[in-house]
Amino acid sequence: MTTATTTPAIEGNQPVPQTSPPEPGASVGWPWHRAWSWLRLLSGPLAAVVAILVLMSGAVPVYTEFTIGLGAVYALMVLSLSMLASWTGIWSIGHPALLAIGAYAVAYGSSHGWSLQLTIVLTLAACAVIGGFLGFVGSRFSVLYVALLTLAFTLVCLEIVNVWQDVTNGDQGVPVNTISTPFGDLFPSSPEAIYLVIGTLGLCLAAAEAVRRSSIRMRLVAAKTHPVVARTIGIAPEAQSALGFAASGAVAGLAGVMLGLVSGFVSPETFSLVLAVNLIAATVLGGTGSLIGAVVGGAFLAYAPSVASSISVDQPYLLGGLLILSLIFLPEGVVPTLTGRLDRWTGFTERLERRKERALAATGSETVAPTFPKEPGSTLAEVQGLGVRFGGLRAVHGVDLTLVPGEVLGIIGPNGAGKTTFVNALSGIAGGAAVEGSIVLEGKELRKVRPTRRRARGLGRTFQHAELFPELSVAENVLVVKRWATTADHRQAQRLLASVGLTGVAHRRPADLSFGPQKRIDLARAVTESPRLLILDEPFGGLDSEERSFLAAHIRRMRDDGVCVVIIDHVLDDLFAVADRVVAFDFGQLIAEGSPETILQDPTVRSSYLGEVDLASPASQASDGQSIVLSLESVAHRYGGVRALQDVNLSVAKGTVLGVVGTNGAGKSTLGRILHGSLKPSDGARTSNARISLVPEGRALFKTLSVRENLEVAAYASGIGRAHMKLRLAELTEWLPERVRTRMEISAGALSGGEQQLVAIARALMAEPEVLILDEPALGLSPVMVNEVFSQINLLAKDGITTVILDQSLNRALQTCSEVVVLRQGEIVARGNASIDGFAHEAEHAYFGQTPEILVEEGL
Amino acid sequence: MDQLLITVLSGVANGAVYGLVGLGLVIIFQSTDVMNFAMAAMATTASYLALSMHNAGLALAVAMVLAVGLASAFGLAVREVLIRPLGDGRLFAALVVTMGVAISTEHFVGQHWGEQPKSFPRLVDGSVAIGGSRINTQDLLIIGVAVVAMAGVAFLFTRTPLGSAMRAVAESSETAAVLGINSQKVARIAWALGVGLATLGVLLYAPNAGLTPVVLAPVLFRAFAGILLGGLTSMTGAVVGGLVIGVLDNLAATYVSASFRDTFVFSIAVLVLLVRPQGMFGRQAFVRV
Repeated sequence: MTTATTTPAIEGNQPVPQTSPPEPGASVGWPWHRAWSWLRLLSGPLAAVVAILVLMSGAVPVYTEFTIGLGAVYALMVLSLSMLASWTGIWSIGHPALLAIGAYAVAYGSSHGWSLQLTIVLTLAACAVIGGFLGFVGSRFSVLYVALLTLAFTLVCLEIVNVWQDVTNGDQGVPVNTISTPFGDLFPSSPEAIYLVIGTLGLCLAAAEAVRRSSIRMRLVAAKTHPVVARTIGIAPEAQSALGFAASGAVAGLAGVMLGLVSGFVSPETFSLVLAVNLIAATVLGGTGSLIGAVVGGAFLAYAPSVASSISVDQPYLLGGLLILSLIFLPEGVVPTLTGRLDRWTGFTERLERRKERALAATGSETVAPTFPKEPGSTLAEVQGLGVRFGGLRAVHGVDLTLVPGEVLGIIGPNGAGKTTFVNALSGIAGGAAVEGSIVLEGKELRKVRPTRRRARGLGRTFQHAELFPELSVAENVLVVKRWATTADHRQAQRLLASVGLTGVAHRRPADLSFGPQKRIDLARAVTESPRLLILDEPFGGLDSEERSFLAAHIRRMRDDGVCVVIIDHVLDDLFAVADRVVAFDFGQLIAEGSPETILQDPTVRSSYLGEVDLASPASQASDGQSIVLSLESVAHRYGGVRALQDVNLSVAKGTVLGVVGTNGAGKSTLGRILHGSLKPSDGARTSNARISLVPEGRALFKTLSVRENLEVAAYASGIGRAHMKLRLAELTEWLPERVRTRMEISAGALSGGEQQLVAIARALMAEPEVLILDEPALGLSPVMVNEVFSQINLLAKDGITTVILDQSLNRALQTCSEVVVLRQGEIVARGNASIDGFAHEAEHAYFGQTPEILVEEGL
Repeated sequence: MDQLLITVLSGVANGAVYGLVGLGLVIIFQSTDVMNFAMAAMATTASYLALSMHNAGLALAVAMVLAVGLASAFGLAVREVLIRPLGDGRLFAALVVTMGVAISTEHFVGQHWGEQPKSFPRLVDGSVAIGGSRINTQDLLIIGVAVVAMAGVAFLFTRTPLGSAMRAVAESSETAAVLGINSQKVARIAWALGVGLATLGVLLYAPNAGLTPVVLAPVLFRAFAGILLGGLTSMTGAVVGGLVIGVLDNLAATYVSASFRDTFVFSIAVLVLLVRPQGMFGRQAFVRV
């Protein structure tokens, strides 16, 4: 996961195995954090009351009163648009139409004897239903589709407004008449109408602030930023965006009623698409998602004409110019940027949050995690004949597996063996795949259970890359699981975070933390509802040794509580240290089962990692080692906080065939890209003057381009001339096998995997490289194709191209490479070549990360 | 029957314009991930410029060619000065910046040339009789020019290494970067080409609609509907989508109700996308964790 960190990553706290119990009578002091919280909640209504009192005092001229009222209407609109955009990711162009519905409703109602409260209730209902529909439909698609949908809605409404003369009086517009309220008749455009609008705005701000703190917002944001993961914690994205748009639509409709009351007249040109654009502009200017920003944006729209004329700039220039300048210089918007700066300067939020956390800890009472009974011989889950199919590709098939409570099951297998697909099928997020077979958890067939409900059935999981919700705080990432987060839930979240060793970071964003703490948050989120079956996808990857032993202890504790823990990992020694039982996957099937001590002795398992050894081609000749074409010195690399490479020294001599071997996640691809020069290492130096081409993992052909075009693109990129390109193209076409050579015009996506690999190599050769780097050239290929690809690579090496092969398979590398280095967890742990006595053995131990002594004791 | 033929033909002529604008939008979107909301404003400015140059004595065809060039330069300037400083991956910010450009530009046009509609001369006058009905020769010219322009684009994108490189960037800018393709250069070409194409379409369309600062808003919306209908990732889709919208629009105006043509056209577009979210020619994407 490449997390863009704007602030320097902090390492989180040291793993603290247990929360220290709150000191008795710990002085928390006067709860000013709570006072502040109430103040924030009530500041909207309070400000409204103050504004109304000022207006009532008569200190403000009448025309300004009207502008203030209009500003309040705009602020309501910006509020509804801004919260919708910030919490659900939907940008609506349909808000002018919703505004129109409210405005015409009050115009019609006032002349047909409706009371104000009836008008408001009807408007809210109508706009909520419309909004809910738009949100539900729009959730399935992209931002641009929603834009089209809401654009269409506005255009349709405008046409209806034009035609429905009885209600709208067409272009002429309709007046709003006096309307009855529980407090007597209300005259449109009267001071009372303006007070009403300001009061409504105050209440809506308070409501928005209340929602902002609740798990309603957390769940909306979770569904927006990571819909797939949201499903696994019980959140249905469609329902969330329907809910969000319904609420936003209702507020927009209410704003329409208020607009009618303030202006006393409703005419169609108000509701043009220009208004939609202006509202978006005001939202962005004020700061998307900021409540104060919404008020600022609304005031700006109302005052823009007078501001513009007072500084003699035309209004559109002012709006357009400010919009562009703010996006370039204040990307968050005016209010969040200013308050953010102020806050960083004063450290207010930091102190506030720490105070809150302490207060929560002081009131919390320790509850023990539930333990589940472990009856001997009982079964927790039964998987039978499970298969997953992506189109024609069988990713997983025929998997039978029994899970019992209180055990740790390890799943191993090479990259692409189907492990993650298998657990995705269990949690119901296998994408567009067809799933067959049965999964029975505690007697219930899981396949009939929607993904969002599986969590409630006792299934929890974590993700390879943590997959946190980036816009939620650390605590909120855990709280989001709850539909209504209570104070008790806040305490529980804090306890869970403490139990995984995270204290004092609850209010930070995940991106502020390094990868280890991020994975611990993911774990805390997964165990919030005490799952009976917990799936961990590569929990050890990317952690340092202290974090790994902490995690192992945590897993053992959960097992002792009766939880069944299923772990996929490539860090085998850590996995074997906690697993009670291990199963191995290859080609989507279960190929072996055994204890951690015995599983690697299974020859099928060993060869699935180490590779087929029936390669007929001879190992290439070692070079003279004289001229170094490429070298790395003390290179280290981190992604965000994740360590990928550490202290790598490597020099590649001209003519060498260098094999870089390691399991998935060992750092091979990172090393490949650094060698290639397309990735700059975070530390250390790279020296090379050679022309280098990289064949990326998974071929990475342009599938929409033809084979010939794929080659031409590479030539174009390397800047060689047209005539030379023709020549090169002809040569490499000749180099390709006949079944590809004769189909140069078909799209590259239509070729088989092996053929694609050869085309990818040819594409890399177009630039006439001196060094060729191949990332996992055998991945996903059948043994026959592997042999063909590797014999071609061998021929190239013999022609004198220096070659670097990044491979999972140690045996293949030993056979085809003149030099081999073994990478494990980002470090080079062995180097040598097949001709050195005992190197193969040493490399194998280095590869699996087991010390030779242990294996010798076991008689291997 | 003749009436139907004329309705469809002039629908095709309008659709060809939507197709050209849509093609311009898709070319820019594919290469740079930016939906250029200012496309209409840029093309409108160029149309007024063409009119001014023509009134100053330049031949109409020459003025139009110059206007296309100026529009491309305008697009290029916006991309380099306003969009590029935003940085990568800020799709929405870029969209809003183009909105800002549109607001300012439309106002500038109104200030400089006035809000009153101006008539724009036809390249060719007269009409052609089909049975009992007549169709403007200009409409046939629009279809002809659009076909030539689209063929040119097709040639560029399918027969030249530059075009392949542009499609490569569109498919995976990551892999393109590994190969060493200069994505900034591709982005600049895409903006110039995209805005130029849209302007060409608009210049041909202008005589039918007359010129006002905001006359092109419906054209932009229809082009937008067309590209979503066609499937956002496909240039063929943009053209076909535009044509479908153009013909539907004309059929609605003639046979359904002139006051409900937006309702008719956009409802159909939304409904089609409900059934087939990726559009007629779009690709479905899988998400995996």
